[in-house]
Amino acid sequence: MGVRQTILEARSVSKAFFGNPVLREVSIELVAGRIHALLGENGAGKSTLINLLSGTLRPDSGRILVDGRPIASLTPQEAHQLGIAVVQQELSLAPHLSIAENIGLGAYPRRGGVVDYGRLAAAVAEIGKELELVESPDTPVGRLPLGRRQIVEIAKALSIKPRVLILDEPTSSLAAPDVAILMKLVRRLRDRGIAILYISHRLNEILDFCEYVTVLKDGSVTADRPLAGLDPDGLIRLMVGRDPRNLFPPYASHASGARVLEAKGFRAGGAVDVDFELYRGEILGIGGLVGHGQEDFMMGLYGAIRAETEQFRVFANGAAVRSVPFANVADANAAGLAYVPADRRKEGLLLPHSINFNLLLPLFASHSAERRRGAQETAITERLAQRLNIRGDRRRPTQALSGGNQQKVALSKWLALEPSVLLLNDPTRGVDVETKREIYLALRAMAAEGKAVILLSSDTPELVHLCDRVMVFNKGRVAATLPHAEASEEAIVAAAMGVRKAPTLQGEAV
Amino acid sequence: MLGQGARLYWAIQWRRNEGLGALFLVLAVFAATYAALFPGILAVGAMAKFVQGWFPTAMVAAAETIVMLTGGIDLSVGPMVSLGSVVAASTMQGPLGVFGGVLALLALGTGVGAIVGGFVAIGRYPAIIVTLALSFVLRGVALLIMPRPGGFVPPSLSEFLAGSHPTAALLLVLLVTLWKLYQATPLGIGLIAVGDNAEGAYRSGVNVSTVRMSAYIISANLQAFTGLYVAAQTGSGDPLIGEPLTLAAIAAAVLGGVGFLGGQGAMRGALAGSLLMSILINVMFFMGLPLVAQYVVQGLIIVATVALPLIRGSLRRAS
Amino acid sequence: MNAVLRLQRFAAAYSRSLVAFAIVAMLWIAASLLIGGFGAYAHLRYIVELAAVIGLVGIGQTIAVIGGGIDLSVSAVITVTAIILPLVSFDADATGLGAIALSLLAAAGIGAVNGLGIGYLGLPPLIMTLAMATILQGLLILIAGGSAISVTNASLDWLGSTHVLTISVSILLWAIVAAVCLFWLHGTRSGSLIFAIGANPVVSRLSGVPIRRLTLVTYVISGFCAGLAGLLLLSMNGQGYVGIGDPYLLSSIAAVVLGGTSILGGQGSYLGTIAGAVLLVTMTALITVVNASEGWRSVILGCLILAMLPLSGRDQSR
Repeated sequence: MGVRQTILEARSVSKAFFGNPVLREVSIELVAGRIHALLGENGAGKSTLINLLSGTLRPDSGRILVDGRPIASLTPQEAHQLGIAVVQQELSLAPHLSIAENIGLGAYPRRGGVVDYGRLAAAVAEIGKELELVESPDTPVGRLPLGRRQIVEIAKALSIKPRVLILDEPTSSLAAPDVAILMKLVRRLRDRGIAILYISHRLNEILDFCEYVTVLKDGSVTADRPLAGLDPDGLIRLMVGRDPRNLFPPYASHASGARVLEAKGFRAGGAVDVDFELYRGEILGIGGLVGHGQEDFMMGLYGAIRAETEQFRVFANGAAVRSVPFANVADANAAGLAYVPADRRKEGLLLPHSINFNLLLPLFASHSAERRRGAQETAITERLAQRLNIRGDRRRPTQALSGGNQQKVALSKWLALEPSVLLLNDPTRGVDVETKREIYLALRAMAAEGKAVILLSSDTPELVHLCDRVMVFNKGRVAATLPHAEASEEAIVAAAMGVRKAPTLQGEAV
Repeated sequence: MLGQGARLYWAIQWRRNEGLGALFLVLAVFAATYAALFPGILAVGAMAKFVQGWFPTAMVAAAETIVMLTGGIDLSVGPMVSLGSVVAASTMQGPLGVFGGVLALLALGTGVGAIVGGFVAIGRYPAIIVTLALSFVLRGVALLIMPRPGGFVPPSLSEFLAGSHPTAALLLVLLVTLWKLYQATPLGIGLIAVGDNAEGAYRSGVNVSTVRMSAYIISANLQAFTGLYVAAQTGSGDPLIGEPLTLAAIAAAVLGGVGFLGGQGAMRGALAGSLLMSILINVMFFMGLPLVAQYVVQGLIIVATVALPLIRGSLRRAS
Repeated sequence: MNAVLRLQRFAAAYSRSLVAFAIVAMLWIAASLLIGGFGAYAHLRYIVELAAVIGLVGIGQTIAVIGGGIDLSVSAVITVTAIILPLVSFDADATGLGAIALSLLAAAGIGAVNGLGIGYLGLPPLIMTLAMATILQGLLILIAGGSAISVTNASLDWLGSTHVLTISVSILLWAIVAAVCLFWLHGTRSGSLIFAIGANPVVSRLSGVPIRRLTLVTYVISGFCAGLAGLLLLSMNGQGYVGIGDPYLLSSIAAVVLGGTSILGGQGSYLGTIAGAVLLVTMTALITVVNASEGWRSVILGCLILAMLPLSGRDQSR
């Protein structure tokens, strides 16, 4: 290609939330006709950087430049006019509007102040053809399955004829055929001279078709170089800053033969016909692509959504103490279950309240008929804070904490109840490496104490290195239950994609 | 042969009927029953009178719907209508007459709408509390201007709006036409986008504050002119006449399938809801039930329409 | 922990409440100096007596708001109690306590219906309580019509006229109920859970908080307290009529907001509402000195709440 032409650029931008620095002096250049990968762990600051580049947030310091010209305070509207389009993980669609109205939103073709439906229909038809969008443009977006909504979201980004296209994990909820369409399209856009920033956790995708990479770690750029000459391990080393194997404590099983939970034909929400048993001291992993019933399985087990089974048993000291699923969360708590949600800001923590109050919440909820006693509460919160190494003033509101510390609070609050079964939903999402290690060690320690742990994770290495067994979901069913020795990343991914691997496949076929 | 654009437009419009079938059916049954019980209603004059009785409710239902589509709510509808009637009845005596009154109402609607919009759209305070507080301010102002019913609306205007002409019906047609036009503008579509997913709309380049602000201003203007209409019906202003309309507006909107969380619902539903309530109240009146019984009925309608889907949902989950 | 530190923490936790108390104190001092007779003990006591009605309604309103809801039916409940009492009075009940108990039961029962609709059916509090208020209003007009109903009730007469050590029984009643409320909200685990529900119902549910039950309790308390306020009002007025409770809807919400409780739920204290109630009555008294019109009262109350909003928190979602 001819002259290197930078379209969008961030020059040493910094950003902090509630006093926590998220980006430190980050610079990135998006060049016409190049597919640029942005890599980093969850919580490394990728989303924040995207928000700065697209005008959704403003940097605390540093500058955003378009065509080499600094833009004082970029707004999303200006970004649109400048041809910067973003496809976010969190969809920006309005479910009650039609596909066409969503695609045109924010930049409708107009005639005399009124939306020109003729031109809108033509534009939608053109983009629709490119993206193989088969649904009728008048369909309300709320009617579409998640994967198809993602395609509409991409169509919407393309409708402004962008010069810069930022794709934030566009493939995370897409099925294989949709991914192929997308890849083809992104290459075509590159050839047209569009600058593309591509964020993905799928390293193979990145190695496949990106040309340049910027790596973020804890808010700073650790690498900014062409991709040529890098392999997956090299990429991981750049992201993590150490060999991936050192992250996990050495594997050791504490699983005993004593069952704590058992179910046959368990169904809840999108999870159907799950047979499983759980043992004292065991770490049971749950894997699969996002949205294949794993979360519903956990929520159903926890009594948060309605569940049915053919057979259900909860054991205490070897004797069956319950034979129906839990009707509500309080029931599950009373039986020794605890659940740590993936989205700690919306589901795990009372953000405006103190660490202390958050730590006490499950205890208060399950033993509510008591008066409060300051000394007793201080002793409890001190002990809980120690168990997961939560430092500092515990009267701080939890919204002032870093992601890692928030996660520690969301986890340790349950230890006040001494639960026998811990359900963890992606506990290391958006957590820094040090905290990850602490959480892994804590899980090991809890298993060693005889607690049973169910670990749902979107991070396959966690399943490989931590779990005694891994149940892999596909389309709501358990596609495979892999013992530790057979649970390689390849085996888990194959089972998640519904690829039949005869020797390890257990239970009913899909 | 329809063009591509018109085909898309009408297909989208048709889709908005989804979920309203039951309401339209109930409405048809009620209307038919009503006409069978009181055949006199089918005469042109009686029909005009009926539409005049329905008109204020239809207007405030529309006003409430616009705000609810954006995810807000307006609890000051009643006092705003009262204030509108008071302002109309006290300005039309002035040197500018009817014209002056209309100008004053426009100023009132735009001013009050801008105040609510300022708090809700720009200050981002909860609409419940802003409009509740505002309802007391408006009621107070109405009482200060006119402590008891009085003032004056020119009889010619009363005759024009609420006499033997089908003006109200024509005004409703005008209202629907203007609404359709507004809904075909970026701001109008923005109402639903903002109510559905405000963050997403903002990221898509929709000016969320402007959409909300315009919604409150349009809504307040509709309410102010409902005040004028009510004043024309009685021939004078009344600082308390609008009171029952707050709940009537919400009841009609809810009955018409407009959701509290925003984005959900359509104007046609709210209008149908207000018509259904109007027929119900008429029937109750003919059956000799006291007028206040309509409060009880409206309250029950709201609770029932909101609760039924929730109950059905929990039953479905249970089975 | 030493006493100074305790005091500091208290001040930090209740700073908004303390601001409201400080404003009351300043107003009282200024008004006493400027207006003859304002600072007299009997007059200040009268102000607090009037504040007791708002304060009692404010208990339920505070708890509902902290829990993330709102109760728009309090004014209707006040009216119901004030009208129902004469109707349920019976001859064998010489002290009048039986009728009082029945009226309070009715008030709490209305609250229970609200609580069931909100907590168990999942209706938005705004809609449930607004619809309840409208239904009650219609029923009341059907039952009582436009006329005032006089009442003779020995216990109520005593409540309205007796002083203990120069303090009115009505104020003592408020003080006792307020103390119980404050202890429940801040001194017990179940009371603390109300703050959790208001801050984030999803987090609360996933943490095992019995949201439905506590929501029911919240609105029963609100109904009961509004009933108490209705009785107090009746004891002061001597007769009940439709509309007697109307001013107390907005004044109860105003007292809550003035007292620094977040209108979005999850944060606040009844302590502030107490100050808010006294502040409201004081301001009304001052307005009355200038101009007694109901219109002005209404305008100023409304503006006061709008002016207080910036202190009370805003909607974070776009």
